Amino acid sequence: MQEKTITVTIDQLGNSTLDLEGFAGHGCEKVSDDFRGGDLVKAERKKPAYYTGQQVQQEKSQR
Amino acid sequence: MSKYSVNQTVLREEKYLVEALKEMGYEVEVHPAGGQLNSYYSEQEAKAANIIIRRDQLRGAYGDVGFVRQPEGQFAIVKDELDEYRGYGAKWVGRVQQSYKEKQTLAMAKAKGYTLKGREVVETSEGQQVRLQFVARR
Repeated sequence: MQEKTITVTIDQLGNSTLDLEGFAGHGCEKVSDDFRGGDLVKAERKKPAYYTGQQVQQEKSQR
Repeated sequence: MSKYSVNQTVLREEKYLVEALKEMGYEVEVHPAGGQLNSYYSEQEAKAANIIIRRDQLRGAYGDVGFVRQPEGQFAIVKDELDEYRGYGAKWVGRVQQSYKEKQTLAMAKAKGYTLKGREVVETSEGQQVRLQFVARR
């Protein structure tokens, strides 16, 4: 099973980037909210694994 | 990888803001009901703030620097306009935000059960970046 990692990079301009690896679907949103901590989102990009994970969850729930 | 976002740090939690300022070497006054800021010109409009750094600690500054709690919950910085060009402009605020964000992130992660895997400081053309890596247990 892939390790779920969170990388937060904080610069001296008041910006931070949040990179989530190994997460999918709602789990991804929850972790994202935790680490955002009320900050303002300037840009956001979902990666293929996010959607792949959602499909897997949907397939499971249909069974 | 599943998600990537760029965020602007918003100063909301007094505890981490005070800790960040102390780490930068300042003695900080906390005034829950608001304390008066001193400015260079006595005729300037009196301003109040909830967190204050007095100008005797701010090298080259004309006035005190303060942070005021806004109705929406975040802190806004209050300072003499001239100090924007005396070393207390966006760059200084960015360093405050950087220290604040690191402290807030570490505390939140610990409280919510994320495991800190590593911390590194990376030198870039735009200054130092702090990189924190965590692992989620579940």
